Amino acid sequence: MKTKVLVTGEGAVCAAGWDPKEIWHTAESGRSVIAPIQQWDPTCWPAKLAGEIAEFNPRAFVEDRKLHKLLRRTDLFGLYAAAKAVEGAGLIVYRDTLDPPSTDAFNDRTAVYVGSSGANYQDQYEFFPLLTAAAGDLGAFGRELTATVNPMWLLRVLPNNVLCHIGIRYGFKGANACVFNHGLSGTLAVAEAAAALRAGEADRAVAVGHDAPVEPENILHYHALGLLAPDAVRPFDTGHSGSILGEGAAALVLETEPAARARDARILGEFLGSGCASEAQGLLAVREDGDGLVRAMLQALDDAGIAAADVGMIVVHGNGTPSSDVSEASALGRIFGSSPPPVTSFKWAFGHLLGAAGIMDAVLALTSLCQREVPGIATLRDIDPACAHLPVSSKAQPPRSDVALVLSRGFAGMDAALLFRAPYR
Amino acid sequence: MAITGIGVVTPLGNDTATTWRALLSSRSGIAPIMNFDASGFPVRIAGEVKGFDPRTACPDRKFLKFANRFHGFALAAADEAIRDAGIRPASGTAARWGCAVGTGMMGVEFAELEETHRRFVENGRLAVDRLGAAGITAADPVRFCRSQGNAGLSLLLRHFGITGYATSVNTACASGGQAVGTAMKLVRRGIADFVLAGAFDSMVNPVGLSAFCLLGALSADNDTPERASRPFDRTRNGFVLAEGAGFLVLEEWNAACRRGARIYAELAGDGNSLSSYRITDSHPSGDGPIQAMRQALADAGARPEDVDYLNAHGTSTLMNDRSECVAVRTVLGRHADGIAASSTKSLMGHLVSGAGAVEAAICALAIHHGALPPNANLREPDPDCDLDFVRDHPLPRRVGIAISNSFGFGGSNNCLVLRNPEDVRP
Repeated sequence: MKTKVLVTGEGAVCAAGWDPKEIWHTAESGRSVIAPIQQWDPTCWPAKLAGEIAEFNPRAFVEDRKLHKLLRRTDLFGLYAAAKAVEGAGLIVYRDTLDPPSTDAFNDRTAVYVGSSGANYQDQYEFFPLLTAAAGDLGAFGRELTATVNPMWLLRVLPNNVLCHIGIRYGFKGANACVFNHGLSGTLAVAEAAAALRAGEADRAVAVGHDAPVEPENILHYHALGLLAPDAVRPFDTGHSGSILGEGAAALVLETEPAARARDARILGEFLGSGCASEAQGLLAVREDGDGLVRAMLQALDDAGIAAADVGMIVVHGNGTPSSDVSEASALGRIFGSSPPPVTSFKWAFGHLLGAAGIMDAVLALTSLCQREVPGIATLRDIDPACAHLPVSSKAQPPRSDVALVLSRGFAGMDAALLFRAPYR
Repeated sequence: MAITGIGVVTPLGNDTATTWRALLSSRSGIAPIMNFDASGFPVRIAGEVKGFDPRTACPDRKFLKFANRFHGFALAAADEAIRDAGIRPASGTAARWGCAVGTGMMGVEFAELEETHRRFVENGRLAVDRLGAAGITAADPVRFCRSQGNAGLSLLLRHFGITGYATSVNTACASGGQAVGTAMKLVRRGIADFVLAGAFDSMVNPVGLSAFCLLGALSADNDTPERASRPFDRTRNGFVLAEGAGFLVLEEWNAACRRGARIYAELAGDGNSLSSYRITDSHPSGDGPIQAMRQALADAGARPEDVDYLNAHGTSTLMNDRSECVAVRTVLGRHADGIAASSTKSLMGHLVSGAGAVEAAICALAIHHGALPPNANLREPDPDCDLDFVRDHPLPRRVGIAISNSFGFGGSNNCLVLRNPEDVRP
């Protein structure tokens, strides 16, 4: 019998809002917040749109000004979502009631798992003035180094910044990892956190996914590869022509059932299972038959000990690129036959958050279960015939049961699936 | 969990046998930097991989265009590990193979940064308009692929045809140990029968070297490179940056026995913790590493008195070495005097994300060969680092339990426990 893993905290931020409900309501109202890029003037750019968080102010994400010079944009998002989840779960209020030895045990038994896509071109831009000063002479580059570059540069770009600052802020000291696996990063942070709880390595875990891929070089590369849509993300529509990148973060607090009950925690849902598989055909290749996704779903169903027929709604990857949409539809057909439960996706509303996408979808799937409503895909007009068997709609649909399946896909032919149950039965 | 294959690319040699021979003969892999002109830097030495050609392991030139320097190390080390294990993914087993890697953080290579600078930087800043106007002529899909955080994972999956659970972690210097620990848990969870596990990194480039020079973390003993890394010595003055990769093939124990595989060691336990103290410093009390080591021993079902060998994190920085010794004493108690310890970073330097995986491989070899590699350059022991270190020469000793520590910037700590296969109850 596997240890029951419950969801007791959540946090999220992206262009569509500053908490899960606000983001969900934005999508539910059929409104896309994808807009012209604000971080630079995209007028003469071949790709102009993104899901950016408007009016970016570091203090809105992390209060402590001293930390701002040590954190990147993506880190600020991650820390914000994590803080909302931790504080919303009431972990700190509860810990404050414990005696010192129990407080130490609480900290040692609190895990932190973080995921981010990990490709940031801007990280090294702080070396541009030095490159200019050195004028191609590496000897001069070395000599001018200390006078030109911020001595704390490395600490600012550490890949595990969010992990480390959650730890320092809250004193959590348990099991941990930083997953760098493109679109699966946040998803696998949830999967690994849940696995650690089931294995008895920790009593509770904070799982976070964060990303800020809207930076010039990155946008240009995605555009050049034909991955970006010129106007809107239209998953499964005949007009699907690519994705649009967005930024943000999402976080969940997962807790073993005994730990959650011991502190009488508010239960937001139950983690049921996870699966992950690769297609091994290169960084950008996707198999037409959705083989990796099929195996990830089967693994998750097996892990959860439920049948496909038990699934009541699906938040698919739905990134709007034709090859991903069609192969995803094919994979869903292989698992659910001709009558899948209601299917939706959220990337059309606020963009593809890459490393944060899967965990954001998990948060929104739980909200959908609680609201007993699967929001529609508002950009959907005419369904692509290859996806015709999918019950997608531009309108909201009721879930068929209290179980949600969440699918994530990423570079390297990676596929993952998560299963959650609503807190009600 | 059986370790049935080992492969490494290190500053000491481009395969396991060469690296192991160099370790046992105390031959240093640290030398003046040759990869680029480091003459202007305050630190001009590193542990570089020498004479490496990725085509030896992977002759496909088109495929190798998608690999940067550390991906090449990964492909070569993984290829050696797979060949060494004598088993590889096949059509019926590919989905039961997993892959867990620890990856380096520097996806964009220095030459690429220079090119961006040459073409699109004005007054020290990216000229966004100029980049946008250049449009797709400024984009290079191959270069983009190489720069991705999971690019190394992608190359390994494709090259070996692994289609099961695959993940890539980056927790700074704890990455390698965490990847190996994650791999073990995939088999325990029943979602893989075999895992290719390892890590790779290179920060030996102008920006990577700059990063650590700026923090003052490196030894600047430029005139005596082979003496520069001296973990636990009273005169230690920083670590030495190095590069390379280490890979293991892990298999479910009974399956490995059934196919008559040579088993180097059992991978028996994994422990992880956060120090949650400061970004670059370890707590003087050993808080953090203590929990990781305790958890790893408990996970392995081992007692402190079972430990024979510690492959220390031992970076040769003042505070790390001291707090690691405090942590070891706290965890092992009186038995701390009964173990032999060494930091192989004394000979190869610090492989950053790659370190934990290479050092796990070294522990497996120590068990297999019954020999402990020395902690080189320990001439004046630091009274605050009072463990029994293997000095000058390798120590022949049967190892029942070996433990390997990896502690990272940001406070992630990993400890792995390996057991002699003779001591594993079937």
